[in-house]
Amino acid sequence: MSGKAVGARLPRYDGMGHVTGATRFVDDVRAPGTLWAKMFRSPHHHASLRNLDVSAAEAMPGVRAVITWRDVPHLVYGHLEALGIPADEPLLAKDEVRYLGQPIAFVAAEDEETAAAGAEAIRADFEERPAVFDVRRAFNEDAARVHPWGNWYPHFEGEMDRRQIRKGDFAQAAEQADKIISGVYRPAAIEHVPVETQVCLTVPEPDGRLTIHSCTQALYFSMGVVAAHLQTPLNKLKVVGGTVGGGFGGKVDTASDTVTALAAQKTGRPVKWRWTREEEFLVSSTRAPWHMEIIDAVTSDGWILGRKMLTLHDSGAYARFSPYGVTKHSFHHTGAYTIPNLHFDGYVVFTNRVPTTAMRGFGVTSVSFAVETHMSRVARELGMDPYEIRLKNANRINDTSPNRIRYTDPSTVDVLQSIAEAEGAALQPAFAGMSREPRAGDLLPEHLVTQVKTEGH
Amino acid sequence: MAKHRGRGISAIEYPTGMNQNGDPSQAWIKVKPDGRVDVFSGTADIGNGAKTIQSQIVADTIGVPYDWVTFDNSNTDSSPVCTGTFASRATFVAGNAVLKAARQVREALLEIAGKEMEISPEDLEIEDGKVTVKGVPGEEMDVAEVAGAAAFGHGILVTGTGAQLNPYAAITDPETGEVDGPPHAAISYAACAAEVEVDDETGQVTVLKLTQSYDVGKAINPSLVEGQIQGGAMMGLGLGVLENSYPYYPSVEHRGSQFGSYYAPAPLDMPEMHTIIIENPSADGPYGAKGIGEMANNGQPGAIATAVHDAIGVWITELPITPESVLRALDRKAAGEHEPRREGKMVIFDEDISVNTQSTGITWTP
Repeated sequence: MSGKAVGARLPRYDGMGHVTGATRFVDDVRAPGTLWAKMFRSPHHHASLRNLDVSAAEAMPGVRAVITWRDVPHLVYGHLEALGIPADEPLLAKDEVRYLGQPIAFVAAEDEETAAAGAEAIRADFEERPAVFDVRRAFNEDAARVHPWGNWYPHFEGEMDRRQIRKGDFAQAAEQADKIISGVYRPAAIEHVPVETQVCLTVPEPDGRLTIHSCTQALYFSMGVVAAHLQTPLNKLKVVGGTVGGGFGGKVDTASDTVTALAAQKTGRPVKWRWTREEEFLVSSTRAPWHMEIIDAVTSDGWILGRKMLTLHDSGAYARFSPYGVTKHSFHHTGAYTIPNLHFDGYVVFTNRVPTTAMRGFGVTSVSFAVETHMSRVARELGMDPYEIRLKNANRINDTSPNRIRYTDPSTVDVLQSIAEAEGAALQPAFAGMSREPRAGDLLPEHLVTQVKTEGH
Repeated sequence: MAKHRGRGISAIEYPTGMNQNGDPSQAWIKVKPDGRVDVFSGTADIGNGAKTIQSQIVADTIGVPYDWVTFDNSNTDSSPVCTGTFASRATFVAGNAVLKAARQVREALLEIAGKEMEISPEDLEIEDGKVTVKGVPGEEMDVAEVAGAAAFGHGILVTGTGAQLNPYAAITDPETGEVDGPPHAAISYAACAAEVEVDDETGQVTVLKLTQSYDVGKAINPSLVEGQIQGGAMMGLGLGVLENSYPYYPSVEHRGSQFGSYYAPAPLDMPEMHTIIIENPSADGPYGAKGIGEMANNGQPGAIATAVHDAIGVWITELPITPESVLRALDRKAAGEHEPRREGKMVIFDEDISVNTQSTGITWTP
């Protein structure tokens, strides 16, 4: 293999098009006879939905179709059903709305103004229900119910209502510890803020196929979601895309493709749905707010003997990818360090908030913030150097993860040493000379002997 | 009233590919009669540079110039399965798929060249668009000629396919979280040092400098790696001190509905940045690469929160650290309420926001 391209600072393949505006994104695609679409959305955080009446919209000149739950062959489909995560979210609301802005009825019309007028003409009877917004209080017996089965996801493996990690014996670690240090960490929900808002253009082809011009981050995944809702084989769909105007995780949700495809099917016309900036900010999914409590059992010379942790993940009204995110979170709750005694409980908590979803660092961004801020606190409490406490507990070759998987090549030590050097922080020789190599001597105290595995995974 | 400077560090790790794996990416490649290469991959480019990285891998693996490679990820008719661009998987998982496809193309070209040159393919190599004979300078054939011979002389379509799938790691014990195999591909590591300035009159936190070190295995394109690191750092800065969908969480009021009312990081927020790239190659990534995409916004918030404490002596653990939260924290400090409660060997921070103080139904005994 030659080495001409790999390692070279080549310009971005499509960079010139992006900076000159020549790149064709979904919104730049034109199809003759395109209808425009708008969504009638829930005006309440939580309400029952009855007597949905779309007749005035349908009768409006220029309106070509109104799509409601009745038009969806398979209404409730979960993004991660294939991974055993049961579906809980209807494509269009049927009898209950669980967040402000939840899609109810979709109007396709000759132009954007008529589609908006059609959406405004839709009527329904809502009976407002109590809503819950605080992940902590969602567990109270008198808390409003988001779903009939409760306020937290009950379908982890073994039908457990939380993701658990258990390793070693935390109680014993706490017994042995010189200090037990606890803290609470709460990063906020944030927006993905793509420059390109959610947008889809679906064109019905003469051969009966649908060409879906999509802003998805995952063409095959979105095709699967559309196919499941429409109950159609994959050869009837062609998803066109691959060039996305910013995603950051938010465009893994298939938010605009399916209903646009249904409208194109019903009208026989191309249908385009382009979210406004307000919709993108207010009803697109967000990064989740998290509530994390960490209790570390530590020795006065800076070993972390054990960690007990509680995580509440605000999933919003529906599960989407949240159980996946909490599982990933649990697998990484020790950060870049090896801790022998673990007791982790993580819950996916439903609230009457816009459903949260994947975002850059899904499940781990939260725990990196919590673990590192907590690590800094532990260092301060023990009067230790912030580099040295991290180096001491760093993952080494043959250490094991919270899932008991062997680390084969961890670089915690390398990245810390390089930062210390760049910052001009003087490490003591024992720390400056440390490496990723398997533990031995002073770095293999009794409490870590069981954490070392020399073969297998 | 004064401005206070502080520093803080963090160290993080991040897995490549979907948690628990089971996420395939596939690719196929065909060669035009003049040797130019068409890559069909299902990987969306969300600004991460997937088109560039995969084209670089294909060019070097076959042995042709980068500008011979055309990358087509435009639709599901011509491109095979790719689970998608997320989970820091495009370079590693999808990169391995195009690498495998390109190896097959290379083998096919060598086979044809061997027939044309009447030399065993094992004695040939391809570099920079030319087939050469190992150890015999001057004895060569253009890949363009080889491709032409394949199409018009031998009646062969030069093609290659590749698929990457790390097996799904099932949780075998839901009580302990034990899994039956590695739940992800390579792990990437990073450390971050933040320097901040806190204005104790306005509460404003300004991030002055971020020094960051990332082990990416192999920087297939160092400019794009730096772009991920610096762009990610701005998102991490946003998480740390600017952004909030629900400014008074858990209240759902006061949401920002436009750019003017939501504080996304902007160029003026950009601090001085120093970026260090470490290349500790992974065993099974393309050219030793690991994922870098997502972790780039994970290290800054903890380093910034620590630096804020270093500056003003108060821990703020609800993000973002806004001027309001700084001023309230300074009020607590003035009232002597900023120290943790110490009881025996227990050191308890943040008691006020713990579930135990919120009349929750959840049992959480420290």
